Parts: sequence; structure tokens; C-alpha cells
Amino acid sequence: MRASFLEFLFKPPSPACGGGVGVLRRRRGRDARSPLPSPSVADYRATSPASGGGTNNKTINNKPRLGVVGIVAAFLLCLVATAAAAQRVERPGPALPGPSLGGPADSSVPPSVPSAPTVPELIVDLSQARVSITSAFQGESLLLFGMFDPPGEIVVVVQGPPARETVLRKERFLGLWLNTGRQSFDDVPAYYFIAASAPLQRLLARGAGGEILSLDDRLASIRPVRWRSAEELAKFRGGLVEVKRREDLYPAAFGQVTVQAGRLFRAELPFPSRLPEGVYDVRAYLLREGRIVAAVSRPLPVGKVGFNAQLAGWSRQEGTLYGIGAIVMALTVGWLGGAVMRRL
Amino acid sequence: MEIYLPIAEQSINVFVLFALGAAAGLLAGMFGVGGGFLATPMLIFVGIPPTVAVASQANQVIANSISSLQVQWRRGNVDLRMGLVLLLGGMLGSSAGVTLFTWLKRIGQIDFVIAVMYVLMLSSIGLLMLFESLRTYFRRRRNPTGPRGKLHTHYLVHRLPWKMRFYKSKLYISAFLPIGLGFAIGILSAILGVGGGFVLVPAMIYLLGMPTTVVIGTSNFQILFVAANVTFLQAATNGTVDVVLALLLILGGVVGAPIGSRIAAKLPGVVLRGLMAVLVLGVAVELLFELLRTPASPYSLGAREVLP
Repeated sequence: MRASFLEFLFKPPSPACGGGVGVLRRRRGRDARSPLPSPSVADYRATSPASGGGTNNKTINNKPRLGVVGIVAAFLLCLVATAAAAQRVERPGPALPGPSLGGPADSSVPPSVPSAPTVPELIVDLSQARVSITSAFQGESLLLFGMFDPPGEIVVVVQGPPARETVLRKERFLGLWLNTGRQSFDDVPAYYFIAASAPLQRLLARGAGGEILSLDDRLASIRPVRWRSAEELAKFRGGLVEVKRREDLYPAAFGQVTVQAGRLFRAELPFPSRLPEGVYDVRAYLLREGRIVAAVSRPLPVGKVGFNAQLAGWSRQEGTLYGIGAIVMALTVGWLGGAVMRRL
Repeated sequence: MEIYLPIAEQSINVFVLFALGAAAGLLAGMFGVGGGFLATPMLIFVGIPPTVAVASQANQVIANSISSLQVQWRRGNVDLRMGLVLLLGGMLGSSAGVTLFTWLKRIGQIDFVIAVMYVLMLSSIGLLMLFESLRTYFRRRRNPTGPRGKLHTHYLVHRLPWKMRFYKSKLYISAFLPIGLGFAIGILSAILGVGGGFVLVPAMIYLLGMPTTVVIGTSNFQILFVAANVTFLQAATNGTVDVVLALLLILGGVVGAPIGSRIAAKLPGVVLRGLMAVLVLGVAVELLFELLRTPASPYSLGAREVLP
């Protein structure tokens, strides 16, 4: 009751009023404006066993989550009445996977099968169309699943958006530890995860078309902004990996792609809580005898949603307004809090 | 229960933040100073980026000082004239401080400067307070009534020009003194995210010679506006104010403050100041230890820049 009132207050145009209905309506809407030019692909999508399996997977996966998040949301609401605005975010969170059922999959299916429109060799989908950073976000694990034509091995590579990262190194200065060394690198992926259905070294030993890169290979290609000796650069590069590992942005272990019945595969994509925003790139490759026979790529947007997104947006774009808002908030809560507590 | 902080960009336990706010409020209630000097290092310790911790803490200080100012104002314990002169310096100082902060952030030394300034400030204030309260304690034991000293002593600083009369504080001093003091506190406030009450209050008593009755109210008055200025500038230039973080701290503080003042009513002032001194020194030692200890990893990452 309360949650829906808040939703109404903060996001009137959202159709996410109730799980099933919202999802249904959105799916129909998507289908209607689906930009697919090729009827053959649409047919495939309707009949494909993989897409059907995906739908089942999703509903099973999400139902308990919705319940837990709901309870957390209700608890938060009662506890921090003032932060209720932030809570509203919880509802759209679980509702979001709805459109994921097909949305971006539509766009990713055609490129995956450019040569064979009727029998694709590799089909991939994700359990969610996007990673939504809500107030309750604590990192998330997405399920990547799909089907391929045997024989072959599957490799999955997930990359965060590239950016310039500056590595700082503390050195001892007059007995104090001080950031004295710094080195920037361009084209550093915010996140890098690689998973394979067989030991990666063996799969990549034969080159794999030069496209699939292990983390080490990928980092060999980041560009130092300022040149120093190769030895120093290697140290800073090592430091970069160390920090990223610590934050679980470069998960150290190679992930496992599990193959079932010789043609179905799945992999868990672990995302930590300190996840940079941006459009991530999820790629799956089908390898036969060390050669890439098929590849599917799809974008995975990672972003704050709802109240979090609004606050971050204001802070970035409307700094002055945000500052005034923060001051007014503190004055109001401080004044009221002080007055109330003195009465008690 | 975890909550995701939109500006700090990480999730953290709600109760940890609430408890930190309550501890800061407790100190505010007990000692009449904001607990910023304790809360900011603790925020950094639990993993909030120092830049976000400092800016959000300034936001929290606003709430702290308005609720304290409410009472002081009603009791007429605010020397408005003195407050405005202090504020003139405070505004200049905090604006300069935020500029300095932005520059230090750019060259990657802000974390270090924050730590070093905390160590220097807390250890000097802590030692001063400790000696003062020990001296008072032992003197009072010897002579319960205590010798009656002069109202205030005159130093060289009292010969500065541009003298002003502050009726409520019963002072006739150069305006440069409070302006300079306000300026220094403003810089502290901007770089460390503290209100600066625990520096300002002793300085007003010992340096300016103000009567203790108006000190707390007047310092709260100046801190309120300086903290608002810092919050505004940090939000406008650095975008590091996390209102969700600040709100949780404020709510904790609202609960903690009355408890603190109830404790304070039961303890004698000397004991209270001694306790405060020990606490301040403890935080200073811990921070110094952090600076001296070999870090687990020498590497860290600066700000991520997404190139267009």
C-alpha cells in the first residue's frame, strides 16, 4: 500500500505496478515496436527452445528474490521513514528483468547468425537485461546461458567500459607513507571477467583467432599515458591488477562455463558492489579446434536506477542545486530532530 | 542491512553509519563540539573515499549546529556581532579551503594531507586539553575555591589596529583577531570536514578571552554558516557530497546528542575535558600509526576518467 503510493508519487508513468501485469504489458509493447527487419529471425525467436528455457529460468530465479527484496524494502521503510524516497527504488529493481526477456536479445540475435538465419550455431541470453544499482545493491551475479551446436568449446568474456585509470604508489618519505609515484593508463577496462568450458590456456594456446584475450593479454594492450622504463610500467600494471582484484573488478579465478547435454551452457557473471557504471560488453565465442566459429556480442548496461540515479545525476550536472538541497535537508532534519528529541 | 550510497558508490551497513552518527552526536552533547573530528576518520576507516567523507561530514555538521543553536539562541547565548566578524573570516577561509582541497585532489595528495592535518591538529589540541585539565584538577584539589585570576591577560595581539567593541562578550579587540581565527577554522572545515568547534571553542576562550557563556552559541553560529558554505562549494565544484550518507549520520546524531548532554550533566567539567582529551589523543595516535605503518599494498587507484 505504502510502497505503491510512493511509486505513484515518484514515478507516475512507470507501468511497474505489479510484477506479472507490468511484464506482460511491456513485452507486448516491445514486440509491437520491435525494430526487427527480418521475419526469419523473429520466427526463430518464437520457436527457439533456448529462449523458452530462458523465460522459465528467469521466473524461477526472480520470484524468491522479489520476496526478499520486498521484505527488505518494507523493513527499511519502517526504520528510516525519511529515506523512504530511496526505498522506492527497490520496486523497479526486481521488475526490471521483465523487459530483459527479449529486449536486447532482439538486437543481439541477428549479428550472431549472419550466415545462417535459420539454424544459429550459438545462442546466448542473460538472466537480466541490465545491472540496476538500487539502494539495496550489494553486487549481483548474472546468469549467462545459451545453446550451441556441438562439437566445440565456449568462452565468455565480459568487459567494463574502458577509461583512463591512474595508479598511485605509496613510498616512504621521512618515515611517512606518501603517494609519490603515479602512472596513468588509457583504455583500461573497468571490469574484466573471462570464463571457459575447458582450461583456458589450452583453448587460447592455438591463438583463437587473436580475438579472445586473457586478462594478462588484455592488460598488455593498455596504453601508458607517460612513458617510463618497461620495468616500472610493469610494476604499475601489476599494481593496477592488484587493486582491481581487491575490489573484485578483475575476478582472479577464471570462471567456469558449464555445459549440459552437450549443447546447453551456462556461466555465472559475478559483479561486485563497487561497480563502475557504463555499458559493459558481454561476448560469447564458440571454438572448434582453436578457431572461432561463432561469436555473440551483446551490451549490458550497468547503471544506477531510480532515486540513486537521480541523486548522482544532480550531483554531477546540477552541483549548485544539489548543494542547496543538501543544506536545506540538513537544516530541516537537524532542526526537527533537535526539537523532537528535546521534547522526549 | 546494507544500503548503496549513490555518491560514494558503494554499499555499506546502515547501522554502522547510524552508530557513527550517534557517536558524533554523543560527543556533541557531552562536550559541546561537533563529533566531526571523530566521525570523518571513522568514515574513512570503514572505506568511504576521504573526499566523500569530508564533504558529507560537512553536510552533517550543519544539522548538528542548527539543533544546538536552537537552544543557545533562545537563551541569548549568541554574540551576533562577534559571530558575524568570525563568519567573515570563516567564509573566506572555507572558500580558500575548498579551492585547496580541489587542487590537492587533482595532484593526488588529498588523502595524505587529510591524515597529516588530523594528526597534527588532534595531537596538539589533545595535549593542550589534557595538560589543562590535569593542572586544573590538581590545583582544585589543593585549593577548592581556586585563585581568582585576571579576567583576561593582554598580549601583543591586543595592540593590533581596527579595534571593535563586542558588548555581549565584554571585549574591545581588533577585528583582525576573530577574522583570522575564522579564516583558519574555515580552512580546517573545508579540508577536514569538521565544524572546527573543538579548535574554535578553546581559541575563543583562551585567545580572544570571551566569556564561556557565549562561546558555545557563537561558535555554533559561525560553524553553521561555514559548514553550509563548505557543503555548497564541495557539491558545486567536486560533487562529493553524499546526502544519503549525511542523512544517516544526522539521524544517528539526533539520537546521540540528548544522551550525551544527559551524561555531561552528571560529570564535572574537568573530568569531561580530561575524557575528551584522551579521546582526541587516541584518534590522533591511531591516525599517526596508519601513516607510519607499512601499508598492506602500496598501490591505490585515483579517480577514473572516462574520456569522451
